[in-house]
Amino acid sequence: MNNAIEVTDLKYSYPDGKEALRGISFTIAEGECLGLVGPNGSGKSTLLLHLNGILPDTSDGVSHVVVHGKPATKSNVATIRREVGLLFQDPDDQLFCPTVFEDVAFGPQQFGFSEEEIHATVIRALALSGLSGFEKRSPHHLSIGEKRRVCLAGVLACEPKILALDEPTSNLDPRGKRSLHEILKSLPVTKVIATHDLEMVVELCTRTIVLDDGLIVADGPTVELLGNEDLMLTHGLEKPHILRHHHPH
Amino acid sequence: MRHDFLDRYSRLRSPVHRLPSGSKLLLSLALIVVTVSVSIDHSLLFFGIAVLLLCTTFVSRIPWKFILGRLLVLEPFALGVAVMALFQQGGLHVFLSLLIKSTLCLYTMILISNTTPFSEILTALRKMRVPSFLITVLALAYRYLFVLIDEGERLQRARRSRTFDRSRRRNWMSLSSLIGQLFIRSSERAERIFAAMTSRGWK
Amino acid sequence: MHIPDGFLDTKTAVTTGVLSATGLSMAVRHASKHVPSRQLPLIGLSAAFIFVAQMMNFPVAGGTSGHLIGGALAVVLLGPSAAVIVITSVLLIQALIFADGGLLALGANILNMAIVAPVCAYVVFVVVRRFLKDDRGMLVAASLAAWVSIVVAAIVCAGELALSGTVSWGLAFPAMAGVHALIGVGESLITMLVLAAIRSTRPELLHRSAATPTTSEQKALLVYGGIVVLALLILVVPFASTLPDGLISVAQSLGFEYRQNAQPAISTPFSNYTLPGIQSSAISSILAGFLGAALVFGLSYLFARIIAPKQREQALTSDQS
Repeated sequence: MNNAIEVTDLKYSYPDGKEALRGISFTIAEGECLGLVGPNGSGKSTLLLHLNGILPDTSDGVSHVVVHGKPATKSNVATIRREVGLLFQDPDDQLFCPTVFEDVAFGPQQFGFSEEEIHATVIRALALSGLSGFEKRSPHHLSIGEKRRVCLAGVLACEPKILALDEPTSNLDPRGKRSLHEILKSLPVTKVIATHDLEMVVELCTRTIVLDDGLIVADGPTVELLGNEDLMLTHGLEKPHILRHHHPH
Repeated sequence: MRHDFLDRYSRLRSPVHRLPSGSKLLLSLALIVVTVSVSIDHSLLFFGIAVLLLCTTFVSRIPWKFILGRLLVLEPFALGVAVMALFQQGGLHVFLSLLIKSTLCLYTMILISNTTPFSEILTALRKMRVPSFLITVLALAYRYLFVLIDEGERLQRARRSRTFDRSRRRNWMSLSSLIGQLFIRSSERAERIFAAMTSRGWK
Repeated sequence: MHIPDGFLDTKTAVTTGVLSATGLSMAVRHASKHVPSRQLPLIGLSAAFIFVAQMMNFPVAGGTSGHLIGGALAVVLLGPSAAVIVITSVLLIQALIFADGGLLALGANILNMAIVAPVCAYVVFVVVRRFLKDDRGMLVAASLAAWVSIVVAAIVCAGELALSGTVSWGLAFPAMAGVHALIGVGESLITMLVLAAIRSTRPELLHRSAATPTTSEQKALLVYGGIVVLALLILVVPFASTLPDGLISVAQSLGFEYRQNAQPAISTPFSNYTLPGIQSSAISSILAGFLGAALVFGLSYLFARIIAPKQREQALTSDQS
């Protein structure tokens, strides 16, 4: 089976010297949905930023991240960014154009789509995110759930093969969470989801990695890991409600 | 976003809103030029302009209270300078002229800013060959205006709930520190926006 | 200092429009070539930041409040070209979305607040920095720069009003200069406090304040300086002194009339603006200006000692753009 992403011994320290990642190695198979969990400060967001080449911001020539067989070096970065769609934690950081249409069209424009292609992919991406009709809306008039979905549309419009999502359901009310779950479930692409929403991980991800203090402490089937109460508590997490009761839903 | 009230009416549906932005801008410019250049002795012209503006307001469906509110907030500046003009020969005529002209121009600007979404103004500016660098800065400034207003408010509320010293000196120090914090947060956010832009292919 | 429409006549609006368009296009050209793309979001956000900072109410006596304008702050944080663009953006947004400031008057407002103010601030800042190189010196330099920038911008504004025939020079100049000499004190204080706050948390954001202008920045500064000088020559100098006859007739043929004093209907204490013992009102104005600046400098120095008790040597490094 082809690996979508291969990470080998990835290390990263912040400019102020603090170590964020201390030797991470794992692979993601094509079409897999991987959950990435861990306490705050474990390095989840930093790891995601390495998957599309945003980090490291200084190149030392050697790349520890390989996407679809291509190492994440300067020469490949443009292609990799098209293949890996990264959804940031704060939608206000990612929604920077004056209207929804312009924002969703941003990525396709940068990647050189033609005018017709741009139009088509924006409409399609908005439909996938449940936002048809939002084209002319201004971002500052949207709720946070709507903003999140616009960001998702903006990433989907680039037609990525891999989705990397940083806390996609944070600050959403239960209805918002459910609708995002449904949308993500319907997308057949490879997914990596860094999140505290363990219910979603159980629902969407067959495999989970537990990260703590810059290291992988567990890598295996979701239900097994998240059902392990000791493991969860040791690493600042909790066994999700959905696994606590053993009656069928 | 609580402050979207500042930009609430630019997307209403009315015949005025539907007019193309470029034409609206040019029309407003023409109206302002005429108002400024012509002497108020031609009172019929000014009366006509006032009627035109009032009719446009009616058609545009913007609440009268809102227009009045904006006029009241913005008028004092004009009033202040106009008062200076009173202290000269023929001062009263100049004063009245200033007041009438500036109020009509202000009214025109209130109308156009509330019937044209800023994104369309940017498109019109782009067509007028305004450099794209400036357009991008304007677009980003507009987009993050409300985000920063909210952040500033949150910082203010947090501060107010922690300090009990209302002296003016403390106030200035805490406000300045707040502004400093706002800049720091803005520059941190700018870094994240840059990461988001490059993630979607920006160079 | 936002001039509404109706206060400037067409020739003044056009003249200031041409001057500010020139300055703005220089700023855009310089910035798009020399500002790395990484900084572009920062410039956009800084415009939003200045806008919001201007909204904050600083309580003054009895229910009134003062506001920051931010020209000097922008220039210390971002450099001259970016500051010009940032403040222009603020003015455009204020005019086109909030109807704050006139449309025809945009040329004058941009000239005063987006070009004259930051450029004067920058020049004063760099000059003072040459003599006061430490952190505290940076605060003093920024403080004085803020005061000077406000006062000079106000004087140019007075010139625009006088040239338009709206308010006579004899009235506009002392009123604008006097009021803004006071407002400038608030501006200089707030600028200093904000910079001190940033310095105490994230000093690396102030790296520009230690830099000397690069060659490309110097060239841009020549253009900006030229525009400021032109603005002063067209809008201020002819009111303050007597022009040679030839120039007067040229000016009049273009429609520029420089009357110093319209006959006052009410005699005001502003009718003759001189310091005791000095004949020419121009020279006494300039002297008063220098006295004011010296006073502000002294006060800033004292205040900086209070808010920045630790001295840190910071050598002037060359800018790395």
